[in-house]
Amino acid sequence: MSRLRRAVSLAHRRYFVTFVAVAGMAATWGVMMAFSWSTKLGIVTFAPWVALIGFDLGMVAGAGGVALAITLWLVASNADDVTLDDAQIGVRAVALLMLAIGSALAGLRLRASERAHRGVAALQSALIDATLDGICLSDAEGNILISNRPLRQLVGELGMPSHGSVPERLLAIADSITEPERYRQRMLELAHEAGEASTDEFEVAGTGRVFRGYTRPVPESAGGFAGRVWTLREVTADRELDRMRDAFVATVSHELRTPLTSISGFLEMMQDEEAGLGTSGRQYLEVIRRSTSRLHALVEDLLLVAQIEAKRIELLLAPVDVADLARRSAELVRPAATEKNVTVDVVADHAPELLADGPRLRQVLDNLVSNAVKFTNDGGAVTVSVAGNGDSVVVTVADTGIGIPPDEQGQIFSRFFRASTATQRAIPGTGLGLAISRALVEQHGGTIALTSREGEGTRVTVSLPVT
Amino acid sequence: MKPRILIAEPNEDIRSLLELTVRRLGYEAVPAHERTDCRPIDAILLEPACAVGRSVLRRFGDAAPPVVCLSIYPREQGLEPPASVAYLVKPASTAAIADALRSVFGD
Repeated sequence: MSRLRRAVSLAHRRYFVTFVAVAGMAATWGVMMAFSWSTKLGIVTFAPWVALIGFDLGMVAGAGGVALAITLWLVASNADDVTLDDAQIGVRAVALLMLAIGSALAGLRLRASERAHRGVAALQSALIDATLDGICLSDAEGNILISNRPLRQLVGELGMPSHGSVPERLLAIADSITEPERYRQRMLELAHEAGEASTDEFEVAGTGRVFRGYTRPVPESAGGFAGRVWTLREVTADRELDRMRDAFVATVSHELRTPLTSISGFLEMMQDEEAGLGTSGRQYLEVIRRSTSRLHALVEDLLLVAQIEAKRIELLLAPVDVADLARRSAELVRPAATEKNVTVDVVADHAPELLADGPRLRQVLDNLVSNAVKFTNDGGAVTVSVAGNGDSVVVTVADTGIGIPPDEQGQIFSRFFRASTATQRAIPGTGLGLAISRALVEQHGGTIALTSREGEGTRVTVSLPVT
Repeated sequence: MKPRILIAEPNEDIRSLLELTVRRLGYEAVPAHERTDCRPIDAILLEPACAVGRSVLRRFGDAAPPVVCLSIYPREQGLEPPASVAYLVKPASTAAIADALRSVFGD
């Protein structure tokens, strides 16, 4: 196989084929002269050499080759005292010329297709080299088949070895990652998870550089190739931006507490003088009071989100009766629900007590129940059910509300995300409630899931482990 | 004699709110910049996250009277001085502030 490859690469060298052809022609002529074989061999023995010259150098050189062959043949015939008539010479000359032209055309076509091929390859490599992401394609065993320049650069910067399969190379730098054990575990999983696409983020210790790796299997196509594509992207700037945004949100929220303090403080002072106000005055005061408490809740939500992001929330665990929490959440929204003619029912099965952070869990339930009422039109119904089995307590909050479009359901737990059904109807909110709820539930080791049909309603299910 | 409470709060509106609260409780409100060497201070109402608050704490040093903190930052921020007896986060209600002050004097 390698011998064949060597021969092919030799043939690619400029003028090598012509050199072989001229040498062949000289040898043929030598034999003709030495043995007086001009008739025995005939001009046909020059044909292959003419064809090769035409193929390698084109038509003009091919015609030159024909002239040379005819001349050599005539000299040999002359030496052998063979007389040739003009027709004999002419017919053979034309035949050779045809051969030279044909092979010149074949050569031209082959070179054109080679050039086109090289052009496409150059475009493709220019394309993959021009991205910011490091990209490589490996075979099923993880051996790199092709990689782009950014990847080669990153591999150097990260100190990965230049040999071995992709998983092996990734594993080799485990000690320089901030959480080496988790990273190692993840890379081992990756090596065995042939059929899955996955994304991972890791930070290089001491440098603050964060990378996101993505890998996806490339299924066997018609060409019979099966392997994996791997991309590596530096997301340091994104993470830094996240940190800055959270710090900014936290600072602003803390600063908002100053005006809030004087507003709510003086509101309290005014309470004593409320009797002296007229009916409208008391109404205005009530509006200010309501808005102040909303503003306060908003500031606390923003701060909680910042704390969650910074992983600074600590749970104070104590036995909690979830059914009792659900009933209290329902009572809290009862006035708003009654105003909208929305019924709120709590169905509590004998759910076991949980070891949980009561106020935090209360916050989750308040959030889900008030969402259910908020997003349900007049005459609708909200049902809160609490059920327990041996291992977990499941709380379901179901409404007959406006629902969430299917394509938005995946983002509904993201911070600041609000469903279009809510924004179109100008229903107030910050897009923080579900993000906070999910973070708090997950911190309790539980799960939160949502199913929804636009125009029919939404059901949120929270599952919390008993132990 | 009325207990004297020093108020170290950078925001003017909150300062007057605190003075009002303190006076309603029957105590004497002392501004942070006032000289305090003639008559002693019995308690400090303090925003620890500000220059005024820090300079008051420096001035009193180890001899600080009981301190009631009222801050825009939560306790976990680690701003609470050693002499602190209560830590409230803004916007705390005036009732909560009053309770904290009363408990300093055992009322």
